[in-house]
Amino acid sequence: MPISEQHVGRRYPPTAPYEVSAAKIGEFARALGDDSSAYSGAAPIAPPTFVMVIAADAWSSLFDDAELELALRRVVHADQRFDYVRPLRAGDRVSAVLSIDKVRVRGEVDIIGVSVQVATVDGEPVCNASSTFYHSHEPAGAPA
Amino acid sequence: MSGNALEVGTTLPPLTVQLTRADLVRYAGASGDFNPIHWSDRAATALGLPGVLAHGMLTMGVALRVVTDWIGDPTRVLSYSTRFTKPVVVPDDDAGAAVTFSGTVTAVDGDLATVTIDAVCADQKVLGATRVEVRHGG
Repeated sequence: MPISEQHVGRRYPPTAPYEVSAAKIGEFARALGDDSSAYSGAAPIAPPTFVMVIAADAWSSLFDDAELELALRRVVHADQRFDYVRPLRAGDRVSAVLSIDKVRVRGEVDIIGVSVQVATVDGEPVCNASSTFYHSHEPAGAPA
Repeated sequence: MSGNALEVGTTLPPLTVQLTRADLVRYAGASGDFNPIHWSDRAATALGLPGVLAHGMLTMGVALRVVTDWIGDPTRVLSYSTRFTKPVVVPDDDAGAAVTFSGTVTAVDGDLATVTIDAVCADQKVLGATRVEVRHGG
């Protein structure tokens, strides 16, 4: 059964623990062209949108859920929101849990709202990352 | 911003970046998003796209620099939201695509301020309803 409003409330198991490293923070900050001293030195924090590295891992739970019949190449990331409890820091071990918050089927497009709760492996909340995806249905007669 | 009076309408120093294919490859590696529409013309055109597109999250990430450069301390960012309204098409040349970001304080509530960011590429807004909630402290 393809994704429908019946899937609202589905939660996936936590992603494998991810350890935030100073090297990865530095790499991400450079990719943004951001030379803020907060992202380097002995105890760097991560740029706020670094959370996406962990959230995207949780998105796989959704896109790999065969029951939902989602095709990644027909998914558009429509909007993104982050609500921060605290910044990610080098040395944090975190994991993420994805929940399906909203599903609306509008003609040939599914509008899917998800939230990803990122927390340390000890259970300390770090950030909630919520996203809306537009998933287009396969055009009739198109090759699979 | 320390010492500056903060009020609705305050504008932040704008930022223009030239996003090149090299920047997209660098962001792909840093973020782990290896979707080929962000580096392969062949993959992008096969999906009917106008060309290789910047990752929306790259544009969103760079946009936030308008605010974090201004407040200095990125830990003051409490929330950040945007809509990916238009793709940023990045040609395979040295100049890439110029994206200009600007910010305006649109709400102040005690210690909290909301900054709205505009992101424009080729005269089109590429992000919509981009809001950053910050603790301005003073």
